[in-house]
Amino acid sequence: MKVLLMGHPNVGKSAVFNRLTGANVIESNYPGTTVDYTKGYMRIKGEDITVVDVPGTFSLEPKDKAEEVAVKMLEEEEEGTVVICVIDSSKIERGLYLALEIMERGYPVMLALNMWDVAEDKNIDIDVEKLRKIFGIPVIPTVAISGEGIGELVKKIKETRPVEVDKIIKKVGGIDGTNRR
Amino acid sequence: MELTVDKRWNLIERISKETVTFGRYRHTLKDAIGELTVKPLMGIPVAIAVLYGFWSVFCSFAGTLCTDGFLVKLFDARWLPWIQANFPGKGSWLYYILVGDPLADNCFEAFGVLTSGLFVPFGVVLPAVFIFYLMLTLLEDIGYMPRLAVLIDTVLHKIGLHGYAIVPTILSLGCNVPAVTATRILETKKQRFIMMTLLAIFIPCGAQLGIMQEVIPDTMGLVLLYLLIGYFIFGFVLNKAIPGRCPEILIDVPSYQMPTRRNVERKVWMRTSGFLKTAVPFVLLGCLVVNVLYLAGVISWLGDVFSPIFISWFGVPKATVGPLIAAFLRKDLAVAQLSAIEMTKYQMITSVVLVSIYFPCVATFVMMLKEGWRELLGSLGVLVAVVFLYGGLLHLIWTLMGVG
Repeated sequence: MKVLLMGHPNVGKSAVFNRLTGANVIESNYPGTTVDYTKGYMRIKGEDITVVDVPGTFSLEPKDKAEEVAVKMLEEEEEGTVVICVIDSSKIERGLYLALEIMERGYPVMLALNMWDVAEDKNIDIDVEKLRKIFGIPVIPTVAISGEGIGELVKKIKETRPVEVDKIIKKVGGIDGTNRR
Repeated sequence: MELTVDKRWNLIERISKETVTFGRYRHTLKDAIGELTVKPLMGIPVAIAVLYGFWSVFCSFAGTLCTDGFLVKLFDARWLPWIQANFPGKGSWLYYILVGDPLADNCFEAFGVLTSGLFVPFGVVLPAVFIFYLMLTLLEDIGYMPRLAVLIDTVLHKIGLHGYAIVPTILSLGCNVPAVTATRILETKKQRFIMMTLLAIFIPCGAQLGIMQEVIPDTMGLVLLYLLIGYFIFGFVLNKAIPGRCPEILIDVPSYQMPTRRNVERKVWMRTSGFLKTAVPFVLLGCLVVNVLYLAGVISWLGDVFSPIFISWFGVPKATVGPLIAAFLRKDLAVAQLSAIEMTKYQMITSVVLVSIYFPCVATFVMMLKEGWRELLGSLGVLVAVVFLYGGLLHLIWTLMGVG
């Protein structure tokens, strides 16, 4: 089994990766530190799982070479690959954009709402339970830098599954209409 | 099913309406500091102060405290006389390769594998690399780098790059190898080519800086200034000469964060040990190769062959050919070797500049090759032109000043 960590630049993918695998990937507080992918391994119940720290990307339409690496990684994956979308909780809407793109392409996904502490500081309240219901996949608040929520993330990896986008649309009552900003 | 961009945003809007409530946002002190350091009026003085602070900590910690205060004494007063006296077979070729000059009174001049070969990486370069990475890591983890990128954006556009090019540039001051990979954050081929070429030619690495600080503390500033000016002149020329786009960027400036101790320790350790792993073997190998070439007479032969170029074009002694060979393996070693050659202050400046801008070290070379051989060949072409024009220009300047 293979797990890809994907998300925008500077949302803490490398921090999650280091927590999951015990490996050492450089983490910095600026976008673009990871420009090549890094592989690591973890063991869940006797099974070896490959974890890949994918360079940050804003969308699946790449604009620089690091993003090209990211999209290529996703597209080249074979069966049994799941994606953990790492999202900056304080900028959740942007993060969901990439997550939806990945879901639309049919990959099994789960969401890590990272930097949960930052969202709390900014008084952003996210109803995790409801998000879970809408997407039908695990949604886990995490603070990778301190390790919070990482155990939960690992536990739920097996519950990762593809999401049918039209079902989400139904659950939120359609997307036609004029509710754009 | 695939959504259109608009529909995707509509869907997100719906989801977020049901699950996210945005509370009142308080403007905190952290935000205020964050904004102040990114607006030019306050930001530029702060940036200058930060960089100056960086520089002075680097010099005083690496140079004054560690190397001069402790390691020079250890190597020159204890290790060197001991190994000179105790290594068997004085006068043999093995002695010459491993210990070097039996009469040398310091580890720069001895130039044996076990004397200079150990002193350069551990006595001089290690403290420099360590303190450089410690401070870089702090700046990174606090979140200062993107602010520097914003502030310097306008200037870097003049050479076809944008603010974010400051990241590979600063990384390169530590080691050119990771900097080459970091050029991937630039969007177009043109930008990556310009950046890679400039950093391979004009940016001295941490090891080189550390050794310069030790060998030519008085004139180091001039060397760096000359390299910096070259960075901009040739960047400007390359930008005009190479076709391609240089797009604007929109970057996310992250808020400041308190660096965590765990991450800082780990990162400094990874980077410093990475340096030791890649640099030490090359330094030792460099000493070995250069000594063998000396013994075999290859260096004096090369010196004779190239002496017209060295003496009349660059105005440096022909003995600098030795260091230039070492420079292909390790530039820090080459600078150390230069210090043992008899020459004037101005010739020394020219030689150090030549060592810096001439060929990238072998590790960087390999990294550049990985990014594409066409780009590498292009960079090398630019490099040859720069070495002759810019190196020769320095000789011209000295001649005009009457010191050449």
